[in-house]
Amino acid sequence: MTDPIETSARATAHVAELELRAVLDAAVDAVVVIDAAGRIETFSHAAERLFGYSASEVIGQNVTVLMPEPFRSQHDGYLAHHIRSGERRIIGKGREVVAQRRDGTLFPVFLSVGRIASVDPPRFVGLISDITDRKRAVEALRRERDRAQAYLDLAQVMLLALDENGTISLVNRKGGEILGWPEDELVGRNWFTTCLPPELRGDVQAIFRRFFDGAATPDQYAEHEVVTRSGERKLIAWRNVVLRDERGLVIGTLSSGEDVTDQRRRMEALRKSEQLLRDAQSIANLGNFETRLPDGPSYWSRQMHVILGTEPEAGPLSWADYAARCVHPGDRDRVVAAWSRLTSDEQPLDAEYRIVRPDGSIRFVHSIARLGRDAESRVQAAGTLHDITERKNAQEEIRQTQERITQFARLSTMGEMAAGLAHEINQPLTAIATFAQALRRLLATPGAADPEDVELALSQISAQALRAGEVIRRLRSFVKHREAHTELIEPRRLIAELMTFAEPDARLNDIQVRVEAAEDLPLVACDPVQIQQVLLNLIRNAIDATNEASPAGREIRMRMRRDEDGAVEISVEDRGPGISDEVAQHLGNPFYTTKPTGTGLGIAISRSILRAHGGRLAHRPTPGGGATVFFTLPAMPGSDK
Amino acid sequence: MKEKPATVFVVDDDEAVRTSLRLLLKSVGLPVETFASAQEFLDQFDPGRAGCLVLDIRMPGMSGLELQQHLNDRHSIMPIVFITGHGDVPMAVEAMQAGAVDFIQKPFRDQDLIDRINRALEKDREMRGELRERDEIRRRMSQLTPREREVLELVTQGKANKVIAGDLNVSQRTVEIHRARVMEKMGANSLAHLVRMVIEAHRED
Repeated sequence: MTDPIETSARATAHVAELELRAVLDAAVDAVVVIDAAGRIETFSHAAERLFGYSASEVIGQNVTVLMPEPFRSQHDGYLAHHIRSGERRIIGKGREVVAQRRDGTLFPVFLSVGRIASVDPPRFVGLISDITDRKRAVEALRRERDRAQAYLDLAQVMLLALDENGTISLVNRKGGEILGWPEDELVGRNWFTTCLPPELRGDVQAIFRRFFDGAATPDQYAEHEVVTRSGERKLIAWRNVVLRDERGLVIGTLSSGEDVTDQRRRMEALRKSEQLLRDAQSIANLGNFETRLPDGPSYWSRQMHVILGTEPEAGPLSWADYAARCVHPGDRDRVVAAWSRLTSDEQPLDAEYRIVRPDGSIRFVHSIARLGRDAESRVQAAGTLHDITERKNAQEEIRQTQERITQFARLSTMGEMAAGLAHEINQPLTAIATFAQALRRLLATPGAADPEDVELALSQISAQALRAGEVIRRLRSFVKHREAHTELIEPRRLIAELMTFAEPDARLNDIQVRVEAAEDLPLVACDPVQIQQVLLNLIRNAIDATNEASPAGREIRMRMRRDEDGAVEISVEDRGPGISDEVAQHLGNPFYTTKPTGTGLGIAISRSILRAHGGRLAHRPTPGGGATVFFTLPAMPGSDK
Repeated sequence: MKEKPATVFVVDDDEAVRTSLRLLLKSVGLPVETFASAQEFLDQFDPGRAGCLVLDIRMPGMSGLELQQHLNDRHSIMPIVFITGHGDVPMAVEAMQAGAVDFIQKPFRDQDLIDRINRALEKDREMRGELRERDEIRRRMSQLTPREREVLELVTQGKANKVIAGDLNVSQRTVEIHRARVMEKMGANSLAHLVRMVIEAHRED
């Protein structure tokens, strides 16, 4: 028999159970109820779907069937421990665990466990949700983040994010390296106070502020220095963007910074060395060029254009154009020949020539070039072009001045010898006049003249006129203004011509000049007039010295011989007072003279003439008293007789 | 003995000048002898020969001035015409001080030289005449007695007979007799003439 109340209660309970069942089956999460021993009592539809078991298969089985090892072995222990101690390790909290399907596959689940109150022995309900997708998403996110971090760290630029206060919110590894900080120590610090040099801090911060006011957008590119932790300064090239929130408000900046300190330093060094080279070329007025052979592209330094007066913008000329347009026509053949010797025979080019600027002005240049290879090891000619116009002009001026001084000294020496020369011309003139007058008298009485006397007078008149003319000719050739030139000449001839001037002067002073010449004298290459000038000067000095001293030795000896080195030595010996040490010290100093009317140029000019001839002037005492002044002239090789 | 005719001696180291002078002097009929150096002339020098010397002042070796000095040392009376160049004026002055008769600068007009040579030859003649006169005076003086020589000395000193008598410690009359004999032997026609002859006799040769 059925108690109606009991029946009603049973019915009510049945309804409740159906409702619960419906709730369990409607739940997205799997619901599993177990008893105190761990046996499954309830297994919802979701649980069936999740695990691949039907409820009937698992009800009554231990719940560990849903777990893989090691959870499976540990579960009974956990359960027993909880029942015994009441300790709530998992109850009320959820946690991630791994579950096992019927087919053995494992999957991550989020498990929350509740204890059903007021039943004894206790029972437990577990809510299990499959978190495979979530796990995957989180994992993907993490990997994405790691990858991003790796990218940041891999980047060879500093990446820096600042919030609106200027606090560092992100910095990558490179940033840390550049700034000398561990990245994590930088995050949270104020960028401006930590990493900017004090003098920049205000300005940079002011600009930063304006990004947030919307008053300015960051420049795409900016450069400024930062200070590292150790105080070193580095120049950083920045690229900046602003970060905005979803409403478009600026919430920070993101910057990439490249350390350009070294690069800038190298560029600066390069720029400086280029500037130095340009300055040096400008100061030296020296340009350089490279031309790939045969007449390929050229490089010209700026100074090349300055020297040649060409437009730098137009670039270098080809060799053919250069030769045709810049080289002076008078020098062109020579320069072209030198260039072809360089390019065909690899003979280094070393030439002085004239160039003509577009404005027609002429400059002297010295060019040196040799063959070499460029960076791609193609044959090229490389060289320099040096504007030596000023030097040339100065040299020319010096040369002309020297010539004038030499000329002056020659005239001055000649002046000293004028009395002797006048005598030398006066003699034939006297003879001519006297012969003519005698002839007139002889012929005055017809038939009285001896024909031999007439013949003698007439031939002597012409001979003496020629004699006077010869003296004047030599005199003219000696004193006339002339360019220096070199001849090959026999030393004896040099002396013979000289005696025209020297002998009368000596005779006038009652002095005999004796010439002693060795037999084996070679030819010498010299400017005869200049060497005669030297000799005349020495003879003049010897005459003065002789007058100053002994009446006994009124003789000057000129000797010519070969010295030990094969050079020709010409000496002038006198028996005068000799050269004192005091005088010897100053000998050859311009304007130093011991003579009341001397110019003090004779010896100085003689020295410079001999230097130009590759010879030298020296003196020694004459044995037995007096001075011997001598000089050497290099012998012409191969002119030995 | 017969004297050689007065000769023009030319000394010049320049052959052309020397030859031209020889020809010029020949053309005017003057006997010429030429020498290439002073030494050459000195070597054959004969003080007895009449003539004059045309001498180049500048020569190698012995110069004209040195030759003049040598000739003076030998009491030569031969007149010298120096030939000088330009600028030899100081030497010419020296030559004149040493007794040269003249100098002429090269080159010269023939007539100027001939005139100078003629003057020199005239001078030579005069000098030789004087020389002969002096020799005669000296010959006459040599015929005086020692006492007559003493009287001559004192008379030509301008002393009166009375003073001379005192000096010689003889009578005034004796002095007068000696004096008359001196005048006679010397061929003097006045006291002044006598004095001139004594001065001439004492002249250096």
